[in-house]
Amino acid sequence: MVRAALTPTRRIGQAPWRYAAYVPAVTVVLAALLSALPIISTSGWYPDFGYLVFIGWRLLRADPWPAWWAAPLGFVNDLFTGYPLGFSVALWSATMLALDLIDRRTMWRDYRTEWVLAGVLIAIDEWMQWRIAKLVDGAPPLAQMAPPLVISICVFPLFAWIISRIDAWRLGR
Amino acid sequence: MATARPGWSRRAQYGLFFSFIAVIAGIIVGLILLTLSLVAPEQFQRVRGAALDVTSPITGGLHEVTATVEGLFTGAGDYWNAANQNAELKRERQAMLRRMVEARAIFQENRQLKAVLNLREHERNTIAIGRVVGSSFNSPRRFAILSAGTSDGVRVGMPVRSPDGLIGRIIDAGALASRVLLVSDRANIVPARLLRNGIPVIAQGRGDGTIDVRPLEVGRNPFKRGDIIITSGTGGLYPPLVPIGRVVKLDDDGAVALPLADPANISFAIVEPAFEPAAVAAETSAPAEAR
Repeated sequence: MVRAALTPTRRIGQAPWRYAAYVPAVTVVLAALLSALPIISTSGWYPDFGYLVFIGWRLLRADPWPAWWAAPLGFVNDLFTGYPLGFSVALWSATMLALDLIDRRTMWRDYRTEWVLAGVLIAIDEWMQWRIAKLVDGAPPLAQMAPPLVISICVFPLFAWIISRIDAWRLGR
Repeated sequence: MATARPGWSRRAQYGLFFSFIAVIAGIIVGLILLTLSLVAPEQFQRVRGAALDVTSPITGGLHEVTATVEGLFTGAGDYWNAANQNAELKRERQAMLRRMVEARAIFQENRQLKAVLNLREHERNTIAIGRVVGSSFNSPRRFAILSAGTSDGVRVGMPVRSPDGLIGRIIDAGALASRVLLVSDRANIVPARLLRNGIPVIAQGRGDGTIDVRPLEVGRNPFKRGDIIITSGTGGLYPPLVPIGRVVKLDDDGAVALPLADPANISFAIVEPAFEPAAVAAETSAPAEAR
């Protein structure tokens, strides 16, 4: 028994994938590309996939990508989703900064606090989208933003789980 | 970025400091871009068009797949109650035939009257025909992606319609695909009138797939359930007499209408030239362009 527990479970030749450092950024771009799916909806209740994956990675690891990558990644998201250019650039960079400041303060984290944190970030994202739409008189009543917000918060754990699986795969675990 | 102080290494401290600077620069660049794209959206026309072209093969290809699958299911559903449907269609056809004869007579009379008045007849020509292949399903705005672009002659500002009714107007155009501001978007305001009695109204999207219609003159609510709203041609962008929506609900001083051309169900969309290009050019030079 003891002998079995002591034998290393890691097999020889198991190591992080060669391009492991780029996997998080690539998944964010792929998530942004989900906007190209031929879904024709007149309600706009789908989540902002790019942002969900972005904060999913950032909450899982402190350094999934160099901090300044947030800006180009946000730019890609803006291009594919049709948000006004610069919206995700600013929001995603600000998210990196905010989460770093939060990381300095918090002593420990658990699953629930991460979900709450993600919920707050998603709410900020949705509210900003609404605010920007209001600037050009294109905003629906604020109450209409509730369903997409609730849906986004509810699907976040699913995205977080997928990201943790991808993370384990890229690191060869 | 790492957390807290990375130890006594000067190099690590500088690295942390510069990454903070880089993020703040990212925020500033983003805000500048955002301001530019809100104030002068035409600046980014080319970039946005290129992005549309990148995604258009994916969107178009997948659309074919989903359309086929959907067709199989609705096809099977149609067989399920074929007898009922058949009877109903026959009844409808009889009614339609009668209306068509009436319409033909009116059409002829109309042509004669117009000839008498020497009214200028507008050529209704089609610029391009495309499919609605995608939409802004994760945004409070209501956009659709159309599978026709500048290579087909599509330009920003052109109205888009389907045989059923008005869809919207082009706001971004790539070479292969373009983005349409739907009539159900809050920023899309269409001068319209009631088909029943010609009362001028304003149609504005509500952002949830429906349209808000208000009479131009304040007073009695002129709407009834089932009323058809058509474009009036005022403003020169949208051609007149294109159906927009059907009134489904009345409220205090207006009504809520459903678009007759449901972007999810139309088989193809027609891009037409702006109705009065001169009038539109004068209007779009004003800064109040919806974006």
